[in-house]
Amino acid sequence: MNALSSLLSLAYLGLAFLAPSPVSHLFGLAALGVTAFLRLSPTWRTLSLALLTLAFTVGLMRSGNTLGLIGLVGILVALTTLPRIPTGIRVLLALAILLLSVPLAGFANTFVFELGIQIGIYAAMALGLNVVVGMAGLLDLGYAAFFAVGAYTWAIFGSEQAKNFLQGNFPLPGEYMYLFMGIAIVTTALTGLLIGLPALRLRGDYLAIVTLGLGEVVRILANNLDHPINFTNGPQGITPVQRPPIDWFRQLMATLGVHLDRTTDYQLFFYFLVLLMIGLVVLVNVNLANSRFGRAWVAIREDEVAARSMGIPLLPTKLLAFMTGAAFSGVMGVIFAAQRTFVSPESFTLLASITILGMVILGGMGSIPGAILGAAALTILNLDVLKTFSEFVRISLPQIPNQVDPAKYERLVFGLILVLMMIFRPEGLIPEKRHRAEMEEA
Amino acid sequence: MKALEVTQATKRFGGLVAVNDVSLSVNQGEIFSVIGPNGAGKTTFFNLLTGIYPPDEGRILLFGKDVTGLPPDRIAKEGVGRTFQNIRLFGAMTVLENLLVGMHIHIHVPYFHAVFRTPLARREEKRAEEEAKRLLEYVSLLHRKDELAKNLPYGEQRKLEIARALALKPRLLLLDEPAAGMNPKETEELQAFIQKLRDELGITIVLIEHDMRLVMRISDRIAVLEYGSKIAEGSPEEVRTNPRVIEAYLGKGAAGGAA
Ligand SMILES: Nc1ncnc2c1ncn2[C@@H]1O[C@H](COP(=O)(O)OP(=O)(O)OP(=O)(O)O)[C@@H](O)[C@H]1O
Ligand SMILES: [Mg+2]
Repeated sequence: MNALSSLLSLAYLGLAFLAPSPVSHLFGLAALGVTAFLRLSPTWRTLSLALLTLAFTVGLMRSGNTLGLIGLVGILVALTTLPRIPTGIRVLLALAILLLSVPLAGFANTFVFELGIQIGIYAAMALGLNVVVGMAGLLDLGYAAFFAVGAYTWAIFGSEQAKNFLQGNFPLPGEYMYLFMGIAIVTTALTGLLIGLPALRLRGDYLAIVTLGLGEVVRILANNLDHPINFTNGPQGITPVQRPPIDWFRQLMATLGVHLDRTTDYQLFFYFLVLLMIGLVVLVNVNLANSRFGRAWVAIREDEVAARSMGIPLLPTKLLAFMTGAAFSGVMGVIFAAQRTFVSPESFTLLASITILGMVILGGMGSIPGAILGAAALTILNLDVLKTFSEFVRISLPQIPNQVDPAKYERLVFGLILVLMMIFRPEGLIPEKRHRAEMEEA
Repeated sequence: MKALEVTQATKRFGGLVAVNDVSLSVNQGEIFSVIGPNGAGKTTFFNLLTGIYPPDEGRILLFGKDVTGLPPDRIAKEGVGRTFQNIRLFGAMTVLENLLVGMHIHIHVPYFHAVFRTPLARREEKRAEEEAKRLLEYVSLLHRKDELAKNLPYGEQRKLEIARALALKPRLLLLDEPAAGMNPKETEELQAFIQKLRDELGITIVLIEHDMRLVMRISDRIAVLEYGSKIAEGSPEEVRTNPRVIEAYLGKGAAGGAA
């Protein structure tokens, strides 16, 4: 059994190198399944995971097939959840995947960067929403509103748009984006306060409905604030939005021996930026979870009456959770605007809010690795798997009519997944563990 | 100064008067019991004291301070800890975390320190954790500290709930039927424990209890509620021999059983 998993991994490594094809990558995913789900000794399992990391990386480099990316995500999940793998190896492999494998794959197929950045942005937002829904138990269906406020905060001033209502030299230079990441924290937290003050007096379903409504209000404002004064440029959206100059980054990479071309340099830069943000967001999430604030949020979720009787004030504590979640989303909004160089109300629909909520639920309410995995799974599903599947259907099965194109059934598939989850694993893919043993600090 | 002074408190639920014009006061350092038949309004009376409901009429003074109409969190900050008749622990949190929530108002970490887990935040957290562990030791639950509260057996959940209330460092502790579901031996331990709290920590204790043996042994004074009204108040002896109390309990045999 032990040797089998490593043998399979080795076999896939060979296949990935010599004959990279969708079939061989599927074989790799099967090998990963064997490694993850069979009872193996930790040493063999670690060895297999290391081999598979290498194999998926090679497979991605040689074919650019995003099945390899799914494999890498799977390995990351295995590294975070499987027991008795040495911590050093966990960290080393995870870093290798994030810092080497994905960029290498991105050079072979820039779509991998696109996916990585999208996953990162959504993961950071899912982590923010996790504070609100997972920890504090406040059902927020308008979360994309904060993403919008963050995105527009930079889009308006990082483009010519601000000229419509302000004197001055617009667009602001790209390096102001970093400053605006800070400003967006303030604007979105204030928006959170504004929405939260009335909404958070309500509970459960009522809260959900009101946040849904107020979230839509923000989108509709973005849609209509092009007159009488043109703040948002309405449905056309704002473009081009400035990106920060990255000469320093190109030079840095050149000294590391990586020469970037014009299509991949910004991709790689934003990929690393998003990775950095996720690191920060996770850190803040963990810090808060283990502070009096995080505990107060969970206490309120568990039992409002008992929490209040312990001296926890209801509205301020809920508002704080709401504003914290909003701020995470706002920062990612700024990055989103800069990375796309384009912002329009369409990106902030109810479906976006629900998708982010779906990521949190899919991963496991209150669970940090869960939120990230949820984001990865749904982003890959939306942007990659369904599209690939559509293409496959179109090319291989042309007799199937256009109307049943799988890509058009994104919401159906998404809904089905959630329903299946609720039936078979209601606690989420990686449920929250409230065991602190490993958090113990010397 | 009295620990608690209630004047003419009334609480109605629609047509039902759950607490009817009740006045009573509790001295500092006293163990005071509130008894009465089911539905007499005892728990509702506690809910008035802790601000879960504001009284429709009347005033509540805690250690000389008027707290009438204040929300529960403000009253908790005045030093009132409580337990609930139907245990209300934070089930998905560990035993230790439950205590840390109880210590919420005594952990002084500003938000931005918590976000970045600054040295100050670490220090405070560590101090709080040490203190919580000491308290767990005190109630002999330390060996359970990393278990989820919901996984504890019933008796330990009751204990943990008292410990959580103690974490608030209360001056006044309200216990709603702490002996419910306990066997005689456990009840005796509980009695010793409650007395220890009063004697060692100087906490004033008000308890609601149906176990008359416990009530008669432990209380300095007792108030009796029936249909929301106070029908008697006094020492255990006085209450036991009060004809109105006997009448209220007659047919249930509780008063006789207590003797
Ligand atoms: N939130 C509420 N809404 C409506 N009626 C209530 C509410 N809380 C309590 N009551 C009613 O008030 C009356 C007093 O209830 P309470 O729980 O205070 O009695 P109790 O003396 O604690 O009884 P027990 O010994 O059974 O615990 C009961 O008739 C109860 O049904
Ligand atoms: Mg009661």
